[in-house]
Amino acid sequence: MQRHILKIPFIVFFLILLVFFYLLMIDRNPSKIPSALLGSKVPNFEANSLFKKDKFYSSQEFTNEITLVNFFATWCKPCKDEHVYILRLSDEMGLNVIGINYKDKAEKTTKWLKKLGNPYSKIAIDNNGQIAIDWGVYGIPETFVVNSEGIIKYKHVGPITKKIYKEINLLVRGLQ
Amino acid sequence: MIFKKNIINIFFIFLLQFVMSGSYAVEPDEILLNKKKELMARNISKNIRCMVCQNQSIDESNASLARDLRILIRNQIQKGKTEEEIYKFLTDRYGDFILLKPPFKLTTLALWFLPLAFVLLGIFIVYFHNKKSIKL
Repeated sequence: MQRHILKIPFIVFFLILLVFFYLLMIDRNPSKIPSALLGSKVPNFEANSLFKKDKFYSSQEFTNEITLVNFFATWCKPCKDEHVYILRLSDEMGLNVIGINYKDKAEKTTKWLKKLGNPYSKIAIDNNGQIAIDWGVYGIPETFVVNSEGIIKYKHVGPITKKIYKEINLLVRGLQ
Repeated sequence: MIFKKNIINIFFIFLLQFVMSGSYAVEPDEILLNKKKELMARNISKNIRCMVCQNQSIDESNASLARDLRILIRNQIQKGKTEEEIYKFLTDRYGDFILLKPPFKLTTLALWFLPLAFVLLGIFIVYFHNKKSIKL
């Protein structure tokens, strides 16, 4: 019995090593933070609209169709990179896309959208970053998929790449 | 003599470094006039992780999100919200990850107890091993 006891530390050490190797081997991004909002209702907020004179009320949106919510700004380079995929999601898939313009200037955004194309059905203005905080956003661009009942189903932090575009495409098809 | 003076100066500069290492990012326009409320805001901010830099609290971080969160915390204090309500507001949106100290709950039991379990295991092994050695 006592002879075996000395083996315990080695066994424990080996088990810990195994766990570490497993975590290294699997495809995992340690800096990715799971969203606390997945599976919950969209936050309630109101804001000024970019194009329309009337205000944007979240309670009037997200009621009968799958919606993509995209936090973006003209000063953010990755937002420009992902723009082509958002256009594709809007044009090719016919997805309703709501943009939230984060800490930006209205004239700049209008120009930017004229040049690159406008995939957004509505754009809410988030001047002081409070809407972003309500959505648990910590670094734009961030994109959410909201189902027809207003439940957040998916969140992606960072620009939409080809891989993410496919992921969203599949998810939306599944939700439809 | 001059040499001695220099040494004393260097010592003070060294000491000053320590005093200043506790610097924080709170800007003058953010500070609340009510000292008690400001202290409460500072205490909460020290426990809130800056999601952008991840290893700093929002009290120390210059990131714009950290500033937004500091202002939000102060606004909520002004509205009369309690500390628990503010923590809940933040974890509802950003999850437990926003707290620098992980909360004590079922999913974090291993995190809190595993180190203790390892220490106990170590003591157990040393104890039995020593018992054996004495016999020899």
